[in-house]
Amino acid sequence: MTDQIREQLSALLDGELPRDEMGLLMRRLDKDPELRRTFGNYALIGETLRAPGGRIAAPSLAARVSAAIGEAPAIVGKTSTAGPAATVELPQHVALWKRPIVRTALAASAAVTAVLLIRPDVTQVAQLEVTPASSFAMSASPTPAQSQRLAGYLVAHSQFSTPMVRRNLLSSLLAADPGITRVSYEMGQAP
Amino acid sequence: MKSREPGDEDAGLPAGTEQSDLELVRRAQQNERGAFDLLVLKYQHKVIKLVARLLRDPTEAEDVAQEAFVKAYRALGSFRGDSAFYTWLYRIAVNTARNSIASRQRRPLDYEVELSESEQNNVAARLKHDDTPEATVLSEEIRQTVNEAIELLPEDLRTAIVLREIEGLSYEEIATAMDCPVGTVRSRIFRAREAIDRALKPLLD
Repeated sequence: MTDQIREQLSALLDGELPRDEMGLLMRRLDKDPELRRTFGNYALIGETLRAPGGRIAAPSLAARVSAAIGEAPAIVGKTSTAGPAATVELPQHVALWKRPIVRTALAASAAVTAVLLIRPDVTQVAQLEVTPASSFAMSASPTPAQSQRLAGYLVAHSQFSTPMVRRNLLSSLLAADPGITRVSYEMGQAP
Repeated sequence: MKSREPGDEDAGLPAGTEQSDLELVRRAQQNERGAFDLLVLKYQHKVIKLVARLLRDPTEAEDVAQEAFVKAYRALGSFRGDSAFYTWLYRIAVNTARNSIASRQRRPLDYEVELSESEQNNVAARLKHDDTPEATVLSEEIRQTVNEAIELLPEDLRTAIVLREIEGLSYEEIATAMDCPVGTVRSRIFRAREAIDRALKPLLD
């Protein structure tokens, strides 16, 4: 914990920390109990100077509150009107689109759509909806032409996915039929 | 210095506090738990003092303060920033203390006995002891240590911390008063806090 970080902490307590310094400091606070203790001490110093006397909180109070909250349900009914700063950042539902897991899900959905679209027999598609995952996985055996078209779709959609998903898709293609069977199996297992 | 009464709940909070609290609340509302932990660390002593003054049994203060913070966390989604965060927290703490008092009054007595005069004196002595628990003694030691540490500070640091914590001035106002850049004010206040924190360490560890 450097002097620079503790100086930021002091400014945070006073509401004088520039907003662009706040995010990193908050992450440090999450990981560093000594930094949180220092923040508590700075607050105690101010409180003692402004209103001397009376009781002070036991050192364990903050930890007890934290433990009790850990058992409490998450905050519901979040508002975006907590203050002027609330309008600066993107709303949470927009931010969700930027998260890797959502991008992965979107890429997977695109791949599922591609597989369904290129299947020539509509009855097979209908069967897909009712077939258990295990038996469906065993029935997937596309022709070489279908595999080629499928590869085209997967490569095209992998441009919108994360590097890890892209690597998995390309590995599947290289593994030929067994790989395609695996993709189908994972599709069948998805909730 | 004027001592504050339970009625003037948001008096004396230094400049910038409200905005800083709103930012922490906004982060806590987005489930950033660390932000709420900081609000607890910031206001725990204030809330304890408040509920200890309201409760007849000061030994309950810790439990009631804890309950108040948990209630505040659960209700944080409904906090819209129409008032200062501490004003809102203050109301929750007062209501929690009132509920605790009411609950205690409803609690049936297990037994009722006639006390002799000497027994009454013993009870009074015990209550007096409870009225000055270890926490209060520690509070007095902390007050003395902080005052002594402030006296030992170089004048520029002492002036900066006093203008901030007691007079409640913003960094910009202090910079004007001390005729120095805002960055220097920030540094002086930090160094003053560090010196006082070092003096407190043996008491708080």
